[in-house]
Amino acid sequence: MTLFYVFAGVAVVTSLLVIAQRNPIYSVLLLVASFGALSGLYVLLDAPFVAAIQIIIYAGAIMVLFLFVVMLLNAPHEDTEYDERTHPLARPGPTRAGSLLAVALVVELVWALTRAGEAPSPFPEAGLSSIAAIGRALFTEYAFPFEVTSILILVAMVGAVVLARRDERARK
Amino acid sequence: MTPLLVAQIVLTLAVFQGLLLSAAAMVWVERRLAALLQQRLGPIRVGWQGLLQPFADVLKLMFKEELRPAAADAILFTLAPVISATAAFAAFAVVPFGAATTFFGLLDEPVSLQVADVNVAILIVFAISSMGVYGIVLAGWSSNNKYSLLGGLRASAQMISYELSYGLALAGVLLLGNSLSLTEIVNQQSGTWLGVVPRWFVFLQPLGFLIFMTAGIAETNRAPFDFPEAEQELVAGYHTEYSSMRFAMFFLAEYVNMVTVSAVAADLFLGGWHGPFLPESLGWIWFLAKVGAILFFYVWMRWTLPRYRYDQLMAFGWKVLLPVAVVNLLATGAAVLYFGL
Amino acid sequence: MPTLTDYLVLSALLFSIGATGVFVRRNLITILLSIEIMLNAVNLTFVAFGRALGEVDGQIIVFFVITVAAAEAAVGLAIVIALFRHRESLNPDSFTMLKW
Repeated sequence: MTLFYVFAGVAVVTSLLVIAQRNPIYSVLLLVASFGALSGLYVLLDAPFVAAIQIIIYAGAIMVLFLFVVMLLNAPHEDTEYDERTHPLARPGPTRAGSLLAVALVVELVWALTRAGEAPSPFPEAGLSSIAAIGRALFTEYAFPFEVTSILILVAMVGAVVLARRDERARK
Repeated sequence: MTPLLVAQIVLTLAVFQGLLLSAAAMVWVERRLAALLQQRLGPIRVGWQGLLQPFADVLKLMFKEELRPAAADAILFTLAPVISATAAFAAFAVVPFGAATTFFGLLDEPVSLQVADVNVAILIVFAISSMGVYGIVLAGWSSNNKYSLLGGLRASAQMISYELSYGLALAGVLLLGNSLSLTEIVNQQSGTWLGVVPRWFVFLQPLGFLIFMTAGIAETNRAPFDFPEAEQELVAGYHTEYSSMRFAMFFLAEYVNMVTVSAVAADLFLGGWHGPFLPESLGWIWFLAKVGAILFFYVWMRWTLPRYRYDQLMAFGWKVLLPVAVVNLLATGAAVLYFGL
Repeated sequence: MPTLTDYLVLSALLFSIGATGVFVRRNLITILLSIEIMLNAVNLTFVAFGRALGEVDGQIIVFFVITVAAAEAAVGLAIVIALFRHRESLNPDSFTMLKW
C-alpha cells in the first residue's frame, strides 16, 4: 500500500519536473527516475517481466539514445522570443493556450474516471504471471504482430540512418 | 527480529564487505601480476608482499583534495560516480554464490547464499548493468572537458553495442536452463556426464561462453577494450577531472563490475558452486575458485594484449560478435528442440 | 491494497503531464520526452487491466508499445538531428516552411 504511494509519488513528481526543466539533460535523467518508479509499480502489479524490460529497454537503451543526442547537439537552452530567465512554464502566449488544453484534459479524465461509478475492487488473487505464459502467447496468438514489429524496427533503423546521415553530395 | 531476518542482514553486509575487499584484493593482484608479466616486482613494501598496498592507496585518496572544474555541472559531477558505484554493487545482489544453508543448524529453514532470490535474476543483472552506463556518460559530459566527453561517448557507444551480444549469449544459457533464476540454472549444472565431465553449460555453449567473456570485457571497459580511458589518446577518459574519493568510486566500480561479470559467468557457464571433492555445504569454495580463475584471466588479458583501434572495436562488435551470437542462439534453439534437452 | 482505480488515476495524471509537456514546451527533445511519458502512462493502464483480468495480454501489448517507442525515438531523434543541422535550433516554431 505505502509502496504504491511512494512509487506513484516519485513517478508524478519526476514527470512534472521533466516538463518543467530548462536543461534537457536533467529532463532525460528525471525521466529515467520516473521509469524506475513505474518499474516498481509493475513489480507491485506482479509483472516482473515488464518491470525488467522497462529498465533494460526504456531506461537502458532509449534514454541513453536521448542523452546521446542532447550531448551531441549541446544546445541545452530553449530559444524563443521570450526572455531566457522566465521559466518555460511561465511564458505567455501559446503556453497559456497549452496550459488551458492540459487543464481541460485533466478535468475530462477525472470526470471519466468518476463516472465509472462501480465500487473499486481489489485485484483478484493470482500468482506471479509467468514469463513462460508471456512467451507462449507472444509466439502463438501474437506471432503476426510480433513479426510486424520486427519489420517496423528494421524500417526505423534504415530511416534513422538515412535521416541522420550527412548529405555527401551537398558537401561537394 | 527473527533469525531469518538476522541471517539476511548478515548476508547483505557480508556481500557488501566481500565486494569491497575483493576490489582491494584485485588491485593488489592486478599490480603484482602486471609486475610479474613485465619482470618487475610491483608493490612489496607495505605489509607482507605488499598486501596492505590497496589500503594505503585508499587512505591516500581519502586525504586528497576533492577538485571540481569551475565550468563543471555541479550536481551531475557529484552524482556520476555515485551512479557508477551503486550500479556495480547492486548487480551482485541477485547473484547466488553457494548452496542453500542453515548456517550450522542456526536456522530452521535453509536460506540460499545470496542477498535476494529473485525469479528473474538474469534480467535484473542485465537491467542494472545497463544502468552503469549513465555514470560514465554523465561523468564525461558534466566534467566539461573534451577528453572526458570523448571518453564518455566512447564508453556508452561501446557498452550499448556489446550489450546485444552479451544478452544473446545469456539467452543461449536460458534456453538450456529453461529458467531465468540463477539459482535454478546453477542447480541444473550439478552432476557429471559419463562420470567424468562435469555438467557445466560451458561444454554445451563453448561459443556462448567466449562471446559472454568478450562482451563482458567490453562491458567493464577493460583492456584490450579500454577505450573510455585510453591514456595515450584521452588522458584518462571520463574520469580525467575526478580526484580523491570520487575518483576512487569509479575505480571501485570498475573492479566490482569485473567481479560481478565473473560471478555471473561462473554461475551461468561453470556450474557455480558445483564441483567434485567438496561437500555441497563447502561449495562456495568452488565458486570463489572459479571467479578467481576468471579474474586472473581478465588481468592476464589486460597485460598481454595491446589495445584495439576504436573503429576495429565497433566493427568487431557489430560485424563479428553479434552475427556469431545470433547463429549460436539459433543453433542452441534448434538443438534444444531436436534433442528435447 | 491499491485498487484498479488508483492505478487508472495515476495513469491519467501521468498522461496529462505528458500532454501538458507537448502543449507547453518549445523544445523538440522535451516534446519527445513528454510523448514517452504519455506512452508510459498507457503502458501502466495496460498492465493494471491485465492484472485485474488475470491475463497476460496486457503485458504483451506493453511489449509492443515499448518496441514502437524505441522505433519512434530512433526516427524522431534522427529527424531532430537533421533539423538542427539546418536551423541550429530546437524550437518547433522555427520549422514553419516546407522547403528551404
